[in-house]
Amino acid sequence: MKHPLLKLEPLIWLLFGQGILLGTILLTPWVLVVGLGVPLGIVPAEALSYERAIALASHIVGRLILLGLIVLPLWKGVHHMRHSFIDFGGAERDALVAPLLYLLATIGSVLALVAVVRI
Amino acid sequence: MSRNAHPHAMAPSKPGRTRTAPPQLPDRFPFGGRYLAYTLFDLTGILYLLLGLLVLCAVWSLGSGEASWNAVLERHRNIFYLGFHAIALAGLIFVGIRFFGFFPKAQPPRVGPLKPPPKGAILVGLYALWIGVTVCLSIVLAGGVFQ
Repeated sequence: MKHPLLKLEPLIWLLFGQGILLGTILLTPWVLVVGLGVPLGIVPAEALSYERAIALASHIVGRLILLGLIVLPLWKGVHHMRHSFIDFGGAERDALVAPLLYLLATIGSVLALVAVVRI
Repeated sequence: MSRNAHPHAMAPSKPGRTRTAPPQLPDRFPFGGRYLAYTLFDLTGILYLLLGLLVLCAVWSLGSGEASWNAVLERHRNIFYLGFHAIALAGLIFVGIRFFGFFPKAQPPRVGPLKPPPKGAILVGLYALWIGVTVCLSIVLAGGVFQ
């Protein structure tokens, strides 16, 4: 199982690196407004009304941003979790854990693609 | 009169026992000294994974109709979601500051015929990008433009 993962290493690292860089840049406003601003009443709820949310999200730029907001943090997340697992003594089970984590990110990425297409 | 040394002149007469120690975790790992920031940086992976899944649920709900989307917004008012997003925001800022700090150090001495920009300029550019995108997207999401 190691060999295919080694082959995919450049792709995984690309997604991981962009997950840190672009994921952090894109997630910050999402958390500020959707996660905290609207629920706390700092931002008016009408800003995220269904009609307005659909209008923003169905634009091609909106779809691309949403896709990046989902896919890149997933890959950053699983890759860092894999390395935490290794650091905390799980190196011997890496051959099992790593494919499972990357499979989770792959499924999430496919679902993300479906989610932004069906808006 | 000197002569060339035999390449194996200093080799032991018989193979000795290996003195390589088995790999060990450093004493201060995982939360002592400089390992604290390293470990926390790795553990932010859990935050990012959960954030990615939460955004996926939100976008999926948006595509499922108005009632589903409103349920997502209602759920975000829950104290657990608010607490998670507060922790996530702290995690994002921590990751941003730590990762952007790596950038100037990771630059090669030359990129073809060009030298990389000064370290300070790289940092200023990264922070300007982060703050700029955050402000612009926040204004868009909060209804400041594209009403």
